[in-house]
Amino acid sequence: MNLSYRIYHVFFRNLISYKRFVLTTFLVSLIQPLFYLITFGIGMGAYMGYFGGKPYLYFLVPGVLISSVMMSATFECLYGTFVKMIHEHLYDSLIATPVSAEDAVAGDIAWGAFRGLVSGTLMMIVAIVMGILPVSVLSVLLLLAVMVFVGILFGSLAMIVTAFAPNFDFFNYYTELVITPMLFFSGVFFPLDNFPAWMKTFAQFMPLTHAVAISRAVFSGVYTSGLALNFLVILVLEVIAFYAGVKLMKRRLIK
Amino acid sequence: MKTIISAKDLSKKYGAFTAVDTISFEIQEGECFGFLGPNGAGKTTTVKMIHCVSPVSSGTLSVNGMAAHIDNRVLKKMTGVIPQEITLDIDLTVRENLMVFSRFFDIPRREAKSRIAELLKFVELEAKRDSKIDQLSTGMKRRLLIARALLNNPTIIIADEPTTGLDPQARHLIWQRLRQLKAQGVTLILTTQYMEEAQQLCDRVVVMYQGKILKAGVPSKLIEDEIGKEVMEIRSSKDGDSKLIEDLAGFACGHERVGDTLYFYCRDGHDLRKKVIELDLPNTVYRPATLEDVFLKLTGRSLIE
Repeated sequence: MNLSYRIYHVFFRNLISYKRFVLTTFLVSLIQPLFYLITFGIGMGAYMGYFGGKPYLYFLVPGVLISSVMMSATFECLYGTFVKMIHEHLYDSLIATPVSAEDAVAGDIAWGAFRGLVSGTLMMIVAIVMGILPVSVLSVLLLLAVMVFVGILFGSLAMIVTAFAPNFDFFNYYTELVITPMLFFSGVFFPLDNFPAWMKTFAQFMPLTHAVAISRAVFSGVYTSGLALNFLVILVLEVIAFYAGVKLMKRRLIK
Repeated sequence: MKTIISAKDLSKKYGAFTAVDTISFEIQEGECFGFLGPNGAGKTTTVKMIHCVSPVSSGTLSVNGMAAHIDNRVLKKMTGVIPQEITLDIDLTVRENLMVFSRFFDIPRREAKSRIAELLKFVELEAKRDSKIDQLSTGMKRRLLIARALLNNPTIIIADEPTTGLDPQARHLIWQRLRQLKAQGVTLILTTQYMEEAQQLCDRVVVMYQGKILKAGVPSKLIEDEIGKEVMEIRSSKDGDSKLIEDLAGFACGHERVGDTLYFYCRDGHDLRKKVIELDLPNTVYRPATLEDVFLKLTGRSLIE
């Protein structure tokens, strides 16, 4: 791994280009989660009663928040990176400078995580406006850290897919077969408690399940003993996915 | 003169395909060295190994005393690359393109700012500094690529087909700029399939074909050795060949039939011309020999696909 501080230069490049379409991305990253909050939260929530002594929205918000991080980081490292690599030949000119292929890919993963952070933060602001507050200021700060932590994982996973993608259509397999099911089987919208045993086991293999658990614990300030495991799972996966994503992309970039 | 780049038995393989096949060459400091060849000859692959973005499969390649290697940041820092494809950042303006790129080379902000102003002047793009890339013509984009390649004050500049797709004005402007750089002592490495470009710019060239170097040398000397000084082209049907050759071959040093044209190559064309006038042949062209003749003779006149 030939990584250096130049990761920041790549991140900076993305930041400069971001300012042109920042508003549209705000809109895009808000719409889907807002949809969930309104339909599930307010519409369905009316029939759901209380969850652990609090309205359903308190259950829903931390889940939707962290899923929007997942979505943004994923899409950025799928479509964003693919466009830069294939259509704009940006990576070709990057690797001809002292920026290494590893720096370039890691910079884009960091960027994906940042996009996740922006989406998650927007969601949090919406939730706060709706009166659904995290338990403390510390919890808000911790949530921001969790978003970055989770964003790096999903950015790295997406990078692995991008490293193999022959075209845009290929991404549908990943988003439809992995990301979307994960959204429904990871306890975002309802607790996993009433799932049959095999489905509960299955859910444990989904990284989003652990991310949701952490997000919910931090949001509500109720920390359980299982949290350490959730954290560990994400950490281990993240290290593996980051390493694999960078290496596989390098293999594609350097010929 | 000092040798700055030296390749020995250099090869590049992609799986079973050999793109560059055990070539050896040396490039001197401050010269303009050209790689000529048709599409797929291995020119771009060779220069990619020189500027450290493509690993060497076998053989040795040393640049400025260091082994060329994809992780060699020192070499990348002293090299400027004008790529074949337009790899500008379309999300950014002209100035932002240069500014972001200067960061990649760790050029301090203040220095970068004055350097960018200087370079925009050099490539005559000052008026376009705040334009988006898609508002530029192809010629402007190519000039911006040159400016970008010069940000780090490179001692080696690699220009990979820098004038492809340009109109004559834009092409001449780019040639002038490249000659100016060479005059400043920069080592210039050019790949091209335009022989006029090679003749305009290069001190020495190699002709590549199917991954190998067919010939190396000074352009004018190559032309003289391979072709002569002048060429007589006679458009005629093949049936008359034997008669024409009988009449004219004595005045020429070589002849060749390609399609509808019979070519006579000669060192001194006076007598040949007289004879052609005497024969009163229609459709003849008499012209000086060029590098293109050498190129076509070496790589064949038929289409390469």
